[in-house]
Amino acid sequence: MAVAQRSGRSRYRLILLILTAVTLLTLDFRGYGPLETAQSRVRDILEPVVSAVDVVLGPVAEVWTVMFSYNDLRSENEQLRAEIDSLRSADLRAAAQQDTLDRLLEATGVTYVDDIEQITASVLRDSVGNFDDDVVSIDVGHRDGVAPGMAVVTAAGLVGRVETVDTSRSTVTMISNPNLVIGVRLIETGDVGLGHGMAGEPTKFVVDTGLRWPETGDLSELPGIGSAVVTAAGSRYPANIPVGRVASVEPAEAGLVQLVTVDLAADVDDLGYVTVLSQVPVDEAPVGPDSPFPEQSP
Amino acid sequence: MTAPQLASTPVRRGLSSLRSSVLMATLRIIVVYMAALLLQLTIFVDVRVVGVAPELPALIAVLAGLLVGAQAGSFIAFGAGLMWDVYLPTPLGLAAVSFALVAFGLGSITEELFHDTRIQTGLLVFAGTAASVAVYAVLGEVVGQRGLVDDDLLKIVLVSSAFNALLSLVVAPAMRWAAWGGRSRDPSADSPRAEARIGRR
Repeated sequence: MAVAQRSGRSRYRLILLILTAVTLLTLDFRGYGPLETAQSRVRDILEPVVSAVDVVLGPVAEVWTVMFSYNDLRSENEQLRAEIDSLRSADLRAAAQQDTLDRLLEATGVTYVDDIEQITASVLRDSVGNFDDDVVSIDVGHRDGVAPGMAVVTAAGLVGRVETVDTSRSTVTMISNPNLVIGVRLIETGDVGLGHGMAGEPTKFVVDTGLRWPETGDLSELPGIGSAVVTAAGSRYPANIPVGRVASVEPAEAGLVQLVTVDLAADVDDLGYVTVLSQVPVDEAPVGPDSPFPEQSP
Repeated sequence: MTAPQLASTPVRRGLSSLRSSVLMATLRIIVVYMAALLLQLTIFVDVRVVGVAPELPALIAVLAGLLVGAQAGSFIAFGAGLMWDVYLPTPLGLAAVSFALVAFGLGSITEELFHDTRIQTGLLVFAGTAASVAVYAVLGEVVGQRGLVDDDLLKIVLVSSAFNALLSLVVAPAMRWAAWGGRSRDPSADSPRAEARIGRR
């Protein structure tokens, strides 16, 4: 009898825990403010301790890095030397391409965040777990005017979105995260669509919603390889931030839509400093009949 | 002094002693968990094997299931996961429910087993961590988080579990101290069989 009662009580308590978790998950999905504030407060309270421990244990981590990354660093150094040589020889070509891009941007009336206040931040920490490779911490927060949803860029282009904001720290979800959906415009064709990062491919971005395959079959209507991709007006982020260049265009969903793979402009793997664009973000991307972004792929 | 008063004095003392020992154990477990969390948030951002860090919050959750049983262990694991959720980009409650389920399962399965040798504890920690990470990834995909179940999942499961099994050599004694203080625990003390024995007396 006692065993049965105990077992029943255990199961009851487990069910209680599961229900609590489901409630928390639901509130979190709905963006329940007090829950986010509570999490932020907990991180704020612990941050000084985390920073102090980080300083104390920093040398240990450095020793580990030196011990196990020496060969990687040497090969990376050699690779960088080769790239410098290659860049020197390609300098003129790059200048010409830049000139083309500048003229293209000028022709379409694009300016890259001239009128938005910028907040420079340094990257403090990379991912803390094993499933958050696409999340970094930066050293600006509420007190610097940062708010969730703001775009984070480098000179090369968009690198991510501010996710959580504490008093003096924030986390940024990188553009390579498959969960971060971004409204983009293909400059060559003027088409707009929705894209996201590709799991396991930190330098790639795929636009898989909103771009129809030409009904006439005229392939000249497709965006050219190497053409520029920027954030779209009406997306959650300021318009015309460079995202990358088209790497490939393939038909998808029985040939009805375009699947555009983009080489990201910004390298999100090894960031030192980033810039937060201090523009109040749009909470929800305008998806619907009046929006440039369709709700579903056709 | 009346008869009920006489009878209630030792009972009160016992209850008071029980409350204070539970409180002390709770505080010790919080201290051990916070130390583990701080290590996870600092040194193990850089100290990784093939790009994979240990899962110290999962290690605490698994050890809680093993050392204090399914019932209390699942509560400790839930708390450990909830605190870890605060730092993860996934929705709040995901790690908490994953850890609680694994701690409950592990605690129930191993309730009748002795796991006092380091190798036994290490093997159980390996299995428990693997289950925690896998359940977390699968539940994450179920609730709409992309990129958790991919080609890297097997590598993350195996390496983080091996890492945790190795670290259990240090963390398991700390959790034993936290859960039981200076006392040695009778492994079958709170098992159903033990309760049945008590019930027959």
